[in-house]
Amino acid sequence: MTKQNAIKAPYPPGDFAIWIIIYVELLTFALLFVGYAFSRRADVELFNASQLLLDKTSGCVNTLILITSSYFVVKAVQSIKTITKETLKEANQKASKWLLSAMVLGLAFLVIKILEFSHIFGAGITLSTNTFFMFYLLLTMFHFMHVLLGIIILWNIYQKTKTVGYTSDDHSGIETGASYWHLVDLLWIVLFPLIYIIR
Amino acid sequence: MQNNFIKNTLEIVWITLVLLTLFAFLLGYLNYISPLVVSVLLVSTFIKGQLVIDYFMGLKDVKLRYRLIPTVWLLTVISLISVAYYLPA
Repeated sequence: MTKQNAIKAPYPPGDFAIWIIIYVELLTFALLFVGYAFSRRADVELFNASQLLLDKTSGCVNTLILITSSYFVVKAVQSIKTITKETLKEANQKASKWLLSAMVLGLAFLVIKILEFSHIFGAGITLSTNTFFMFYLLLTMFHFMHVLLGIIILWNIYQKTKTVGYTSDDHSGIETGASYWHLVDLLWIVLFPLIYIIR
Repeated sequence: MQNNFIKNTLEIVWITLVLLTLFAFLLGYLNYISPLVVSVLLVSTFIKGQLVIDYFMGLKDVKLRYRLIPTVWLLTVISLISVAYYLPA
């Protein structure tokens, strides 16, 4: 065990401050997830009937989008971490392409979500329609804000790769942004089956 | 050969995540949801989350305490969802 621990990194990737934020976000969403699950017990029929109004296909497409964009971000980080003096420019360019692809997918997620929201609001549904929709709108809109912030963070990292800003000694920034983006993915991975599928 | 496996690990993780997502979607789409299927879905959600924690967040190669924080979070959330689902009214 000691031997195994010796080769393990002492801290998670990126700036440690982002991990404090990640832990707080995990706790906040945990309360909402568990709150939803226990509120459902009070009126299972209402929750099941309301869930039928959601578009499972767009929920699934959005899950695939976030998983894939997270994969692209890992590829960007890998490009930077394997950097050498000779490959500095090439690695930054490669990373910028992965990041751009990840951001495009992030924007696609937002567009699909906006379409879903407009459909829901168009049907006259609001936060006060019933408990299911209160949780649905609260959770998905809160998550939407996180995706938006994640894209802004990725955009800043992208700008730095365009100026060949990352080196083998300085790649903490890209790891910090990537960790936040994976949090957004992790939260949706729990949210999708909970809200859209389980009944 | 081992290097190739390591190199392809990310791709294998991504494909697994995609397949588990499609599996969950199909069950929901076909409305094939029973208490047993819900257990399968919750286990599959745990696997997906753990894959993201280990391979995307990169916590597999970090000291255990940092890997455990999101893992315990995931396990607790999924366990409480299970309790809420299966606890008799």
